[in-house]
Amino acid sequence: MTANDMVHSVPPSPALYVSLALYAAATVLYLVALMRRPADGASRGQTWLDRLPRLCLLAAFIAQGVEISLRGIAGVHPGSSVREALGFLAWLTVLGFLIAGLRYRLRALGALLAPAAFTITAAAWLSPPGKELSGLSLLGRIHISLATLGAAIFALATALAGIYLMEEHNLKRKRFDRVLFRRGAALETMDKLSHRLVLVGFPIFTVAMVLGFVWLSERGEQLLSVRTGMATVAWLVFLILIVARTATGWRGRRAAWLTVGGFAATAVVFLIYLLRPMLG
Amino acid sequence: MTSQIFVLGLSWRTAPVAVRETVAFPAADVSAALADVRGHPDIAEVLILSTCNRVEICGATPRGAGDGADARALSAVRAFLARSRGVGPGLLAEHLYEHRGASAIRHVLRVASSLDSMVIGEPQILGQLKEAYRVAAGAGATGPVLGRCMDRAFSVAKRVRTETGISRGAANVSSVAVELARHVFGDLRGKSVLLVGAGKMSALAARHLRADGAGRIVVTNRSAERARSLAAQIEADAAPWDDLFALVAAADVVISSTGAANPILSRKLIKRAIKTRRQRPLIIVDIAVPRDVEPAAGNLDGVYVFDIDDLQRLVAENLKEREREADQAERIITAEVAAIESAIAAERAVPTIRALRARFVDVARAEAQKAAHHIAGAASVEARAEAVHKLADRIAKKLLHAPMRALSGASAHDPEDLAVAVKALFDLSAEAEAEADGGDDPESGQSGAPPKADPESEPEPENQPAADPEAAPGDPVQPNPRKASSA
Repeated sequence: MTANDMVHSVPPSPALYVSLALYAAATVLYLVALMRRPADGASRGQTWLDRLPRLCLLAAFIAQGVEISLRGIAGVHPGSSVREALGFLAWLTVLGFLIAGLRYRLRALGALLAPAAFTITAAAWLSPPGKELSGLSLLGRIHISLATLGAAIFALATALAGIYLMEEHNLKRKRFDRVLFRRGAALETMDKLSHRLVLVGFPIFTVAMVLGFVWLSERGEQLLSVRTGMATVAWLVFLILIVARTATGWRGRRAAWLTVGGFAATAVVFLIYLLRPMLG
Repeated sequence: MTSQIFVLGLSWRTAPVAVRETVAFPAADVSAALADVRGHPDIAEVLILSTCNRVEICGATPRGAGDGADARALSAVRAFLARSRGVGPGLLAEHLYEHRGASAIRHVLRVASSLDSMVIGEPQILGQLKEAYRVAAGAGATGPVLGRCMDRAFSVAKRVRTETGISRGAANVSSVAVELARHVFGDLRGKSVLLVGAGKMSALAARHLRADGAGRIVVTNRSAERARSLAAQIEADAAPWDDLFALVAAADVVISSTGAANPILSRKLIKRAIKTRRQRPLIIVDIAVPRDVEPAAGNLDGVYVFDIDDLQRLVAENLKEREREADQAERIITAEVAAIESAIAAERAVPTIRALRARFVDVARAEAQKAAHHIAGAASVEARAEAVHKLADRIAKKLLHAPMRALSGASAHDPEDLAVAVKALFDLSAEAEAEADGGDDPESGQSGAPPKADPESEPEPENQPAADPEAAPGDPVQPNPRKASSA
């Protein structure tokens, strides 16, 4: 039995549907929490209503973890295809958010991330399994896993950059009545956190890229393609971001836009993988 | 009649400053005023709160004061105010408000929680009330009733502050810089502040920033002398005016308030400064009119410029938000008023409960002692049982003696009222009462067997003597000690 057949033969467990439902619920809860006037400022007196969105997201995360483990036990590696990797990416991103949430108050990020996790997981589930990855080598698996991990970290950094941009816009335009103005985290906090994530994601993504090229050449495939081109663009964008920030203290709006751009390129690579089987 | 809390006062809501300033008590006058007010027989406890926005006298009538004590106390306080402040009673009447009982408690809670303040959620009033209470307590003018009420008011105020957003967001222009800086930096620790111009407003703003943890504060001014004098006032450093560019480059928050006719901080200067500071964000709060900062500077990346209109708009927005949060605070207070009322009532009942318990225990012990040798010396098990039975009957009879007399009309209280109270206190059902009305001899319990006509009146030995104090208003069942001891 090939890896591809296995993907076909292992149907999603109920855990997947549970996690999708919980991601949807978490989305609603985060939006409600964001709109609702919370009882306090920093971290005083959190009520159960304040914790509910996080708990819901945590439950969704656990359910999806169960699903990923069940598939792993059945022989479907999270890195065995882009389809599997996408679900894994959503899961890793949520993990990162949950960890960051221990230290930072990131309700706005949750409101962005919960629907993203839902969409990605649902898209992965609905997308047809690819045929091209049969006979996946260990190298290929490591490549896909690392690329996914790197992209998950970039996704978090990008979500933060996105919120930064919205909040910054509000502050510049003096829109004091906006929810994000009242509820958002401080600009510098988001800027720093986003950059730290980029610093962590970059080496992982770099290794994934190198392995990807090695893997491609092993299989005798064309090294130059839209896919590899976009991946290189993403890598370069993040490289520029890191260098500029270290050298000249670049930060704020420009850094946020670069992060968004880098992630967009990364996302295109994943989209190509995802859409290719559909396009034939 | 039990003791009642009352409040008489005037505030910014009811009186213009011209009236408030005449009525206000200078700190030195407060002790004498407290003693004066407390001299009235209908006032047991008193506290005077006098701030620039309100003058209030809050007090409690003595326990056991007759009906209308609160009304008498209030008019006494009114007269006192007119007399001691030299204001005509007619003029005062126009501006005074009064509250009694639950309404007074609610008022105190609302004042403490800053819901009645001119700027909702402002923190000063709580401190002022605490101070007023400290002074009154120090003068021996307070007691258990006001004490309980104030204690609760302080903790409710704290709760309202933490659980609602009524004090969130800057409520005045001078503290708005802190809020804006927080939006950018999150934490002000280690951030440096530059004051351009040595105005009063910028000094106030700097104080707020410092209170929030800001690090170095530097003052620069065209007149070096004024810069130095302001710097000395607020424990900041003074720097020469010529260093303006370097100072801006080094600062995180700039507060500008010069009287210059033309912008002092040009876009060019700020742009250069940003480069030198490696793109660190810069907040510029421009309080001056005409403005000190060239408006176009606000378009620079990482530069956030706010002029006086922006500050005022943010304050207005915050105040609107506070108003919305006030609803939630009112709900907290409503719940708390009920709790305080019952706590005060329970506290009032404590002496009665204590006396009642002591009486029951005394009677039971005395009878048990008398019966001890009968029981011990009983020849048979039956005889011992008989002796114990007799003891139980004697205790019941003794305990019932005074209440029975009162119920049969031999006391100053209305027997019907007493009957209602007794039924509430001992949980007697309606039918038991109907049967008991059929001519039961109070002394019939003597026979040794439980009286059949009234089986439910047999007191259960496990029953707590402390009945719910609220169930019986007043304390009609309080035993008359003299009569009891003679029985």
